[in-house]
Amino acid sequence: MTVLILTCEQDVTADMVVAELNGAGIPVVRLDPADLPGGAALSGEYVHGSFHGHLSTSGRLVSTDGLRSIWIRRPGEPAAHVAEPSTWLTEETSQALYGMLHATGARWMNRPEAARRARRKPWQLHLAQRSGLPVPATLITTFPQAARDFAARFPDLVVKPVSGTHPEDPPRAVPTSRIAPDADFAAVAFGPTLLQRRIAKRADIRLTAVGERLLAARKPAAADPDHVDVRFAPSVGPWQPVDVPASIASGVHTYLREAELAYGAFDFVEDSDGIWWFLECNQSGQFGFVELDTGQPIAATVAKWLAGTEPESEPHATPATRPT
Amino acid sequence: MRPFALNYARSAEELEVSAPYSYDSRLQLNVLPDGRIAAHEHAVLREWGATTSTAGSKTHFDD
Repeated sequence: MTVLILTCEQDVTADMVVAELNGAGIPVVRLDPADLPGGAALSGEYVHGSFHGHLSTSGRLVSTDGLRSIWIRRPGEPAAHVAEPSTWLTEETSQALYGMLHATGARWMNRPEAARRARRKPWQLHLAQRSGLPVPATLITTFPQAARDFAARFPDLVVKPVSGTHPEDPPRAVPTSRIAPDADFAAVAFGPTLLQRRIAKRADIRLTAVGERLLAARKPAAADPDHVDVRFAPSVGPWQPVDVPASIASGVHTYLREAELAYGAFDFVEDSDGIWWFLECNQSGQFGFVELDTGQPIAATVAKWLAGTEPESEPHATPATRPT
Repeated sequence: MRPFALNYARSAEELEVSAPYSYDSRLQLNVLPDGRIAAHEHAVLREWGATTSTAGSKTHFDD
């Protein structure tokens, strides 16, 4: 039984898992949907009441019946590498590939529908609240007056993109940023704006959840309170392993169960009282940088889950039942 | 007409530099010119920041 990894060639974080699977003798097929059709190929037959499908890439051929798990890591857009790409061909290819893969009994990390929903950050905040995780007071609005009223109630605010994406043309980054007390909120009317109470943090926390296993790491915060976003702040020390408080572990497990996720990279900030405040959960978040600093066996844990030797956490997944 | 959040945007020009490793479709892994597997060379991965949370990826926003 084979592990199918959908990702791009440049993804060295996936390499860390491929190497683990190779070491365990688990067959792997790595395929970038961007190479389909052309560098990769597919075929599926629905005859006599049954389905049989095949995928091929780089000289490897795998039957969809022979898939034990599917890891959607960093896949390219289907058909992106064809000579004449088009929205239509991308949709055709996406439907063919993912539609066929849904007909298998393989377990997913993560199921596409769950992944799509889990990317929506406003929904993440709601689910985190329902899961019992501390969530900073947040407002998403296009009403300037609502923003002013919120700022009056919570004078120390940050702003960040609602979607987590960054603008192109020209490419710009929009880090989570502290708002000046005298900010003019008139421009809130020109785009949904996410305002959040700034947590005076003493550390950032990255909690990587793989199935039932939680691996958390902590990084001391920069002293300057204007350095809100750890991705853009000067590093004051490496990530180090940290135990997960029981209440956070419980909330994270609830979150993953409700979100139907087998993998999630949670970002928290730790305040001066030691409370972990939920910021977001990236359903395909990076983990390589944490493993490099901490030595935590995240890639090995992902590999074990994909191999089927870790507990199942996906409520609607059907475990592979065929012998290996 | 600029949305409020873009008041806090900063330049994100990316330098077009190539990584010191390339994909080997036979191994299904990236390898260095001398054949070493890139994923095993942590110093290389650190230097290139290839496993970091960028949140600025052109193709993936959930880092």
